[in-house]
Amino acid sequence: MTIQTHGIDMEALGRQPAQGLDDAGLALKVEGLSLFYGGQTQALFDIDLEIPRQRVTAFIGPSGCGKSSLLRCFNRMNDLVDGCRVEGKILMDDDNIYDRRIDVSALRRRIGMVFQKPNPFPKSIYENVAYGLRIQGINKKRVLDEAVEKSLKAAALWDEVKDRLGDSALGLSGGQQQRLVIARTIAVEPEVVLLDEPASALDPISTLKIEELIYELKSRYTIVIVTHNMQQAARVSDMTAFMYMGKLIEYDSTDQLFTNPGKKQTEDYITGRYG
Amino acid sequence: MAPWRHFKDRAATVVISAGGGAVLMSILLIFFYLVYEILPLFSAAKIELATEQQLQLTAATDAAYMYIEEQGEMSLILDTGGHARFSELASGATVLYQPLRQQDSVALTVVSAEAADSRLLGLGYADGTVLLASHEYRLSYPDDKRLITPRIEYPHGDDPIQVAADGSALALLALRDTDAGLVIAAQSTSGELWVVRYTKEENFLSGEIELEREELSLNLPRKEYAALYLGTDQRWLYLLDKAGAYQVIDLNREDVSGAQQLADEGRLFADGSELSTSSMLLGGISLLAASTDGELSQYFMVRNGKEAALNKIRSFDTGGAQLLQLLPEQRRKGFLALDADGQLQIFHTTGQRKLLSQSVDYRATQVAAIAPRADALLLMDQNGKVSQWDIDNEHPEISFSALWTKIWYESYPEPDYTWQSSASSNDFEPKYSFAPLAFGTLKAAFYAMLIAAPLAICGAIYTAYFMAPALRRKIKPLIELMEALPTVILGFLAGLWLAPFVETNLTGVFSVLLLMPVGILGFAFFWSRLPVNLRTLVPDGWHAAILIPVVCGVTWLCFAMNDSVELLLFGGDMRAWITQDLGISFDQRNALVVGIAMGMAVIPTIFSIAEDAIFAVPKHLSYGSLALGATPWQTLVGVVIPTASPGIFSGLMIGLGRAVGETMIVLMATGNTPIMDANIFEGMRTLAANIAVEVPEAEVDSSHFRILFLAAFVLFMFTFVVNTIAEIIRQRLRVKYGSL
Repeated sequence: MTIQTHGIDMEALGRQPAQGLDDAGLALKVEGLSLFYGGQTQALFDIDLEIPRQRVTAFIGPSGCGKSSLLRCFNRMNDLVDGCRVEGKILMDDDNIYDRRIDVSALRRRIGMVFQKPNPFPKSIYENVAYGLRIQGINKKRVLDEAVEKSLKAAALWDEVKDRLGDSALGLSGGQQQRLVIARTIAVEPEVVLLDEPASALDPISTLKIEELIYELKSRYTIVIVTHNMQQAARVSDMTAFMYMGKLIEYDSTDQLFTNPGKKQTEDYITGRYG
Repeated sequence: MAPWRHFKDRAATVVISAGGGAVLMSILLIFFYLVYEILPLFSAAKIELATEQQLQLTAATDAAYMYIEEQGEMSLILDTGGHARFSELASGATVLYQPLRQQDSVALTVVSAEAADSRLLGLGYADGTVLLASHEYRLSYPDDKRLITPRIEYPHGDDPIQVAADGSALALLALRDTDAGLVIAAQSTSGELWVVRYTKEENFLSGEIELEREELSLNLPRKEYAALYLGTDQRWLYLLDKAGAYQVIDLNREDVSGAQQLADEGRLFADGSELSTSSMLLGGISLLAASTDGELSQYFMVRNGKEAALNKIRSFDTGGAQLLQLLPEQRRKGFLALDADGQLQIFHTTGQRKLLSQSVDYRATQVAAIAPRADALLLMDQNGKVSQWDIDNEHPEISFSALWTKIWYESYPEPDYTWQSSASSNDFEPKYSFAPLAFGTLKAAFYAMLIAAPLAICGAIYTAYFMAPALRRKIKPLIELMEALPTVILGFLAGLWLAPFVETNLTGVFSVLLLMPVGILGFAFFWSRLPVNLRTLVPDGWHAAILIPVVCGVTWLCFAMNDSVELLLFGGDMRAWITQDLGISFDQRNALVVGIAMGMAVIPTIFSIAEDAIFAVPKHLSYGSLALGATPWQTLVGVVIPTASPGIFSGLMIGLGRAVGETMIVLMATGNTPIMDANIFEGMRTLAANIAVEVPEAEVDSSHFRILFLAAFVLFMFTFVVNTIAEIIRQRLRVKYGSL
C-alpha cells in the first residue's frame, strides 16, 4: 500500500505508519489556553488540545505561529518571561498545572524539556546527566552511576562517551551535546518530554540520530516536539498540530493531516505555499 | 567605494592599535620612572681622588685635628703646637693662622670634638686645663662670589677650665655641651679620671648664662683607658680600655659611697681580642668599636627593666681588616673605616650595609676628616700630604633588611618594625620599615573586603538573578553611580562623622552587623510561612522592596536599644568595656570605620562586575537546569554561580586592588599611625596614604623621597602580582566553566 501525501512520500521515509489515538491514554489536556506577552500582545488564542500518552505529538507551523510558546506552557517555562500571562487550563492527571498550589519544580521534573540549542552545563558529561538526580538529593554513587549509564544508553550516546565521562561536556559535538541533553532530561524519568526544535541546530546526520532516538523513546515517554521541518514531523510524529498566527488550525493524526488535511490553510502550508 | 572602505578599515586598525599601545606604553613608562627613581637607593658608593697637596708642616707641628667645612672649600688643621690653620682646599693657600690659646703657651696634649656633627672642640693642655673653642665659617657674597670667612670663637670664654685638679697633663677628653649644661670628662697622664659638670642657669635679671661647677667622683680602679665618650643626654660615660673591656658610668646616679654609679661593665669582644679603634656614632647614642682581629660592632645602652646595659647591636663585615680609624658621618648614621692596609670602607648602621671597600693608599695616616655633607674626605699622611677625595654616597640607608626585617633601632628595647621618617632633631635614626605600612595596607583592605565582598556579591546575585527586570534597570545604575562618589567625600564623612558616631554607638553598630542578617533571614522565614494568597501579592522579583522596612526597622531598633544594651551587657560604656575589661586598645579612627567607609567605596566595583558576570550566564543554561526541575536556588548554586565564577572572582580581585590602592579614605579615617596590630579597633597607615602624607614634605631626590617612590613601586608590584594571579586563576576557571 502506498500512501501518497501532499509532496511527502511516507514510504520513502521508511517509517511505520503513525499510531492512532485509539489505544493511548491522555497525557495532557489543554483547555481554552490563551497566552499574553507584556499585557497587550497575545501569542496564543484559545487553544484546545489533547496530547496522547506515549505518542509523539508534533507542532508545526510558520515562524512566530506560537508553537514554541505553546510548548513552553506545558512546563511553565513561560513563567520566566517577564510580563507573561496565561489564561485557561492545562490539565495533567486532572490537575491544572497553572494552579497556584502547583510546585513548579515538581511539575518540571515530570515534564522535561530539550531546547533548540544544545545547552549542556559547563560540567563533566557524567555530572550533566547526574545533575537532575543530584538536585533531588540523590547522591549515592551507585544509583547515579546506574542512572547515568542507563540514560546515556537510552540516548544512544553511551558507546561514544563511556570512556570519557569525566571530560567536559562542552567538548562534545553539537549532535552529541543534544543527545546528552536528552539523556540528562530522561535521567530524571519524566512522564513527558518536550522537544523544542531539537535538531534545528544540527547537521543532517545528527538530525537523523535524534529522530531515531525520538522514535525509540516514545515507547516510554510522551513526546511533544516542535519543528520547522515538516518532513521531520511526518517522520517522527503520531499526531500533528498545525498552528498559524497563535491559533490551532488543525490537529489530527499525522497521516491524516499530511495526506488529507481538513483545512485549506493546512494544505497550503504543507504544500509549501507559505511558511 | 572600495578604497574608501579599505581606508576606514586601516584607519580604525591604526587608531585602535595606537590606543592600546599607548595604554601599555604609559604603564611601562610609570614602571620605568619608578625604577629610575628608586635605583639610586641600591647603588654602591664611589670615591674618587680630587686633589693632592703638600702642606708645609714641621715635625714639631704635626696635625692633631682636621675638618672640612660645609661647602668643601676650606679645611681646618689644628697642629700639635696649638695653632689653627684655615686654608683653601683648591689652592692650598692659608686664609687664617692663629694660636688657639692666646694668654699663655701651654702644650696642647689632646683634641676632642664634642660630637660627630659639632664644631665645638675641647682642647686639653699639659697643665690639666680644657679650652672650649668652636670654629665658625661666615658666608658672604661680595661681587656675587662666595666668600668663606673663618674664625675661632670661645663660647665659654677665653679662659681655660681647670679639669685635672692636680695639674697633670690631659691624655683623653670627652665633652658634651647642651642648653642644660656642660660636662667634661678626662683622664690625665697621672691616671686620674676627672668629670666636671657645669649646670647652666639663666640669670633672670640680666639674662646672662651662669655656670655652676660640680665635680663628680668616680670609683674606678686606676688604669689607662683607650677612649672616653659621653652620651648625648650627658648621662652615660663610656670608658674603653686597650684590652677591650668597657665600663659605663651613670652620671645621674650616685652609689652609696657618693661616687657615680657603675651602670654596666664587660668586654666589647670575645676574650683575646683587643680594642683597635672606636668612635661614637652621630647622635651620641651608639658606640662603634673595632677589634685588632677585624671585628667591628655597634653598641648602645638598652634598658632592661630598671637597669640599662650596653648591648652589642650588630656587627659589620670588615673583611678581617684591622681598622685604625672610624669616622662617623655628620648627618647620617653612616661611618667610614680606615684600615692599616690603606683600605677605605663605608658602612651604614641601620641598613647594616657595606657600601664601599676601596684602597685609598693611606698608610701611616695621621688624621682624616669627612665633610658635613659626607661628599668629601680629607686624608693627611705623616709627611703632610693632604689628599681630597670626592665621595658619591647619596643613599646608604636602604637594604632589604632595613625595609622588611626587624631592626634594632637606637634606644629601642628590642628589634622592631617601625616607620618613622622624620623627627624633631637632625641626628635621629630614620626608620624606614615597610612592614607596618604593608601590614596596614592589607589590614585596611581585609576589613573593607570583609564588609564589601558579601554585600556586593549577594547583592549582585539577587539583582542579576532574582530581581524583576524593571527593578533591576533602576537599581543597577544607582549602585554603579555610587562608584562616582569622590572618595574624598567618603573619607571626610568617615573621619568626621562616622568615626565619632561609631565610637558613641558602638553597641548599636555591632548589633546592626549581627542582627541584620538574622533579621533578614527571620523575615524571609516568616514570609515563607505566610498563606499563599498573601505571598502572591508581591510579584516575583519585587521581594527586595518588602525588605526595606525590615532593614530600616532593624537599624532603628539596634540604635534605639544602644543605651539599654550597653547598660545591660557592658556596664554602660562598650568602649570602656573593650579597653578596660578586654584590654584591647581603642582608637576613634580604626579599622572598623575604614572597613565600613572603604567597603562602601569598593561595593560598586565588585557589584558591577559580579552582576554583569551573573547576568551574562546564558539563559539557556539556567533554563536547562530549571527544566530539569531544579529550584531557582539550585540552579543558581549548581549552574549560574559556577559559570559566572570567573567574573565574580575578577570583581573580587579588582575590588581588592581598589581597596589596596585607595588613598583618600584611609588617609582621612585611619589616624595614619604606622602600627602592626590586627586589632579592629586600632588604626593603621597604608602604603598609599603614607605616600600622600609624606611626599609633600620629602626633599626632592633625598633618600626619604626615593623611599616613598619605592613604596609606590611596592604598591605597583603588589597590585600587579595580585592582578596577574587573579588573571591566571580566572583563565583557569574560564577553561573549566567556559560559557557557551
